This record gives sequence, C-alpha cells and structure tokens, in this order.
Amino acid sequence: MHVGGEVDVRSAYCAASVASLTNILTPSLFAGTAEWIARCQNWEGGIGGVPGMEAHGGYTFCGVAALVILKQEHLLNLRSLLHWVTGRQMRFEGGFQGRCNKLVDGCYSFWQAGLLPLLHRALHARGDPALSMAHWMFDQLALQEYILLCCQCPAGGLLDKPGKSRDFYHTCYCLSGLAIAQHFGSGDLHNEVVLGIPENCLQATHPVYNIAPEKVARAVMHFLQYPVPSLEPA
Amino acid sequence: DEIGLIPCPEARYNRSPIVLVENKLGVESWCVKFLLPYVHNKLLLFRQRKQWLNKDELIDITCTLLLLNPDFTTAWNVRKELILSGTLNPLKDLHLGKLALTKFPKSPETWIHRRWVLQQLIQENSLPNLATKGNLGAAPVERIHRLVQEEMKVCSEAAGRYPSNYNAWSHRIWVLQHLAKLTVKILLDELSSTKYWVSMHVSDHSGFHYRQFLLNSLIRRTVTDNNIVVQNQMVNEQNPSLQKEEESAGTEAACAEEQNVDLPRCLDEEMELCSELIDNYPGHETLWCHSDENLSNSHHSPAASHMAQAMDVDGLNESSSKQGYTQETKRLKRAPVQDSLGPEMEYQFVDKVLSTCRDVDQARFATAYRKWLVTFLGQ
Repeated sequence: MHVGGEVDVRSAYCAASVASLTNILTPSLFAGTAEWIARCQNWEGGIGGVPGMEAHGGYTFCGVAALVILKQEHLLNLRSLLHWVTGRQMRFEGGFQGRCNKLVDGCYSFWQAGLLPLLHRALHARGDPALSMAHWMFDQLALQEYILLCCQCPAGGLLDKPGKSRDFYHTCYCLSGLAIAQHFGSGDLHNEVVLGIPENCLQATHPVYNIAPEKVARAVMHFLQYPVPSLEPA
Repeated sequence: DEIGLIPCPEARYNRSPIVLVENKLGVESWCVKFLLPYVHNKLLLFRQRKQWLNKDELIDITCTLLLLNPDFTTAWNVRKELILSGTLNPLKDLHLGKLALTKFPKSPETWIHRRWVLQQLIQENSLPNLATKGNLGAAPVERIHRLVQEEMKVCSEAAGRYPSNYNAWSHRIWVLQHLAKLTVKILLDELSSTKYWVSMHVSDHSGFHYRQFLLNSLIRRTVTDNNIVVQNQMVNEQNPSLQKEEESAGTEAACAEEQNVDLPRCLDEEMELCSELIDNYPGHETLWCHSDENLSNSHHSPAASHMAQAMDVDGLNESSSKQGYTQETKRLKRAPVQDSLGPEMEYQFVDKVLSTCRDVDQARFATAYRKWLVTFLGQ
C-alpha cells in the first residue's frame, strides 16, 4: 500500500484504478497482477486480502473491480463468487454482512452490493441468457430500506448500524450503496428503483470507480491526450 | 502484560494517572486528552525537522503514542528506522505490539509492523555472523520455533478478544507460511491446538477458515511429499553419484512419511467435530459452511493423490517403488470405502437434524445443506 507497507488486494485496485484513469496502464506494469488476484479467491467463492485468506467484502470488491479494469474477470470462478456475495445479504436487516456469520454493516452496502453490477457485466459479456434486463441480482429495495431506516444519523451523516456513531467512511459507502441499489444499468437500459419519495433518488455512481460516470469519462478523455509515459528515464 | 484505559473523567487526587497492578498497566482516561496531543505534536515536530529528539526520547515517545493509538503508522515507521540503524532491539517491538494488542486486538498497523519485524528477524537468522543483540542464544531452528509458538499465542489471545478477528487470523496464517514453512508437523500441531478454541467459538468464521487452511495445506503437502519421495527414488536409481545430495531432501520427505499423515482420518475427525458442534449449537451458519468444504475435501483428496501417484508409479523399478507404493495402496484401499460411507452418513446426519431440530435457522441451514449434497454428490 506504501513503501515498506503491507501487500494486499486493495493496492492492486488502487493502482489499477489510478493507472486506467490517467492512461498509464501498460501490460508490464500489471504483469502477473491478474493471476495473483485470482489466487486470492478461495473455497468460499469470495476473495481474501492475500492468497489463503478468508473471503471478505472489502477485499472482494477491490479484487473484482481491479480485474474488470484489467479485463481479466474470467480468471475468477464467477459462479461461486455470485453464490457467495448473494449469500451475504441479510434476510432480516436487508443490508449486507462483510463475511459469513458476521453482523450487518452499512458500508458493505457498497463493497458487497457493488459486486453485482460488476458480475452482471461480466456474465452479460459471456452471453448469459438468464440475466435480468431490469434488476441486479440482489434485493434492491431491502437494501435501500436498511440504509434509509437504520443507517441515518439524526444529526446528519450515515453509519454502520443503529447505535454506532457517524463517520465520513460510512457516510460515503452507505450513500454509494444507496446509489447502486437505486440504479440499474445505464443509457437505454437504465432502470430506477427508488424506495420512498422520488427525492430520495441519488445520482448514479460508476460501479468500478465509485465516482460519477461523467467524471470517469472526462478523466479518461483528458488523459488520453497525453502519451503513455515510458519506463525509460527522460 | 496488559494495558487498559481506566474510565476516570476527572483528576480526583493529586497523583499520577498511571496505575500499575499485578503487571497490568492502566491509564486514567482524564489525562489522555493532554498526553496524546502532547506526544503526537512532539513527534510531528521531530519529523518536520523543527525539533530534535535523541534516540531514547524517540523510543519513549513512540512507545507512549503507540500504546494510546497503535494505528499511528508514522510512529511505527520511526521505530523501523531505529531498528535498521541498530539502536532498537526488534524484540522490544514484538513486546510493544503484544501489549498494544491487549487493548486494540484488531489494530492493522500493529500486525503489519509485526510482520516487518519478523521478516527482519528471519533475515538476521540467515546471516549468523551479523547482529547478536537480542539473540536468544539458541540455535536458529530453535529460535524460529520459539518465535512461531509465541506468534501463535499472540494470535490466539487477540482472536479471543474480538470475534472473527480477520487481522489476527491472517497474521497466524502468514506466520505459518513464512516462518514455519508449512511443515506437516506444525500443521498437525495447529489442528490439534485450535480444536478446543473453535469449539468454544462456534460462530467464529475466521477460526474455522483457519482450520480449512490447515487441512488444505496438509492435502497439498501430502501430494507434494509423495511426489518428492517417488522422484528421489527415481533419481537415485539413475544416478547413484547424486544420492548424497538428494539424501537431505529425501530425508525430509521421508520424515513426513514417517509422520504418517493419515489424511482421510484428519478429514474424518473434522467432519465428526463439525457434526458434534452442529448438534450442540444449532443455528450457526459457519459450522454448515465448514461442513460443506470438509465433505468436498474428503471427496476430492484421495482421488487427487491417487492421480498424482498413478503417474509416478509407472516406469519405476519394482524394488525401489515398493515402500512408496505400499503406503499409497493402503490409502487407496481405504479411499473407495471412504467415498461410499461418507455421503450416506452425511444424509443420515442431515435428515436427523431436520427431524429433531427446533431452531428455525438450523432447519434452514440443514435444508440448504441437503440440497447441496444432492447437487454435489449427484445421488
């Protein structure tokens, strides 16, 4: 994650994210990365921090999003991944847990639910006929209920679960998760599913970078103007 | 051996906020809002080169800081520099980390720094002519063994302090991979020493995942070791002059064989443990997940080693292959019996649970498990 720091799936995602947006993504920069990430998928179907580790929502999102950027999602067992992530939505609360047998947490509204748009895209690319054209493969309304009813702090901001205090991290990822749950697809295939009054509807977020899709487009366009830097010293 | 914060919003008496009782360090909470910014600021000024601190002061300040907030990366990094310059004994950081973990059992930065320190210590080990400070005075192998045991203990305590402690269990796996080199002995030792712990923490998914890791590593190890033994025998046949070199590798694999890793029995015992816990503690998803994976392993692994063996046994001289082969045939003879008994017993078990359980979640898990059995075993 930094010089002398820890090595795990998150750094692969950070690197891929930055490199792809700024047009410095070269094959040599990520040689072997996709295969390493694939090794982080375990018997549960989810992805752990490093190969051998327990499947975890945060790391799974980072791994899958990085592979989407590197166009190597097929290295994963998508079926077991789908089975794992859909099992993480809590039947009572509606929100998501980070790992099997743990408690619900608002931030996983993004890390876990955010996997479904990515999976949808990967399976669609394979021509899977069973895919819906209107909904993600999780209960979008139940997630929105959890976020709106349980994760809001009366003084503003959002949180993990009732009883916890608010913080920027949870505010960010609860809102991101809410956006994912409200918007299916894009362009012609866009379908909005909004719980409560229409004013509850948020702007859509890009499922890979979690910033506004227009911003992704602008960043990419801007950096495409510049040549890809070479590794040779100037 | 333990630190903690004593809730005490006001300074009642005119005395020090530090309390030391039976080797446990307490800090009265009122002083933290003065102490932490003070030491934090001092360190930042030092880093910005605005105020000098000598080595002893640095050690004290970072120590205080980290006991109050161990996720302060900069403080750990200052200590890294002190260790690299030879001023600070790395073992001190292991102790500091251990203390910090008694209050902050998840602290990511503490675990990360710990791995860095352990890496430094192993490197030191492979260059015996260098640093002797902090050397336990024992042979390198013994030293590593003690480090490993200590790490297992630290991980276990941290895991007990916070449920499903991802960071503690990842560290434990890392230590086995990088310090203990995943030997059969350590894998079996760990299986037996964690058995009681997981029985006391039946919802701890991380604990059970650890056991999966141990079993999977054993499976991989057994296949590799059998291949090594067989390959060594082949090489020895062809090149008698190489025999001495191969001997050490051969001895290692032979030791593993002498351990007689009874893999089917390990997996059997795991299934028994799982079933027992499922019966005693209804409604824990973790136990059912663990069951799924165990059955999957029992079903696949004898087949896997059989395939590996079959390829190597061909073309071997009869006399040299006898030993390796006999061991495998014993296992193979058990395997088919294993396969036919296993699934039947599982069906019986699930049906029994379904007919006798009163817990809603337990019934749901059992039903899902039965569906999975049908799909997986195709019966």
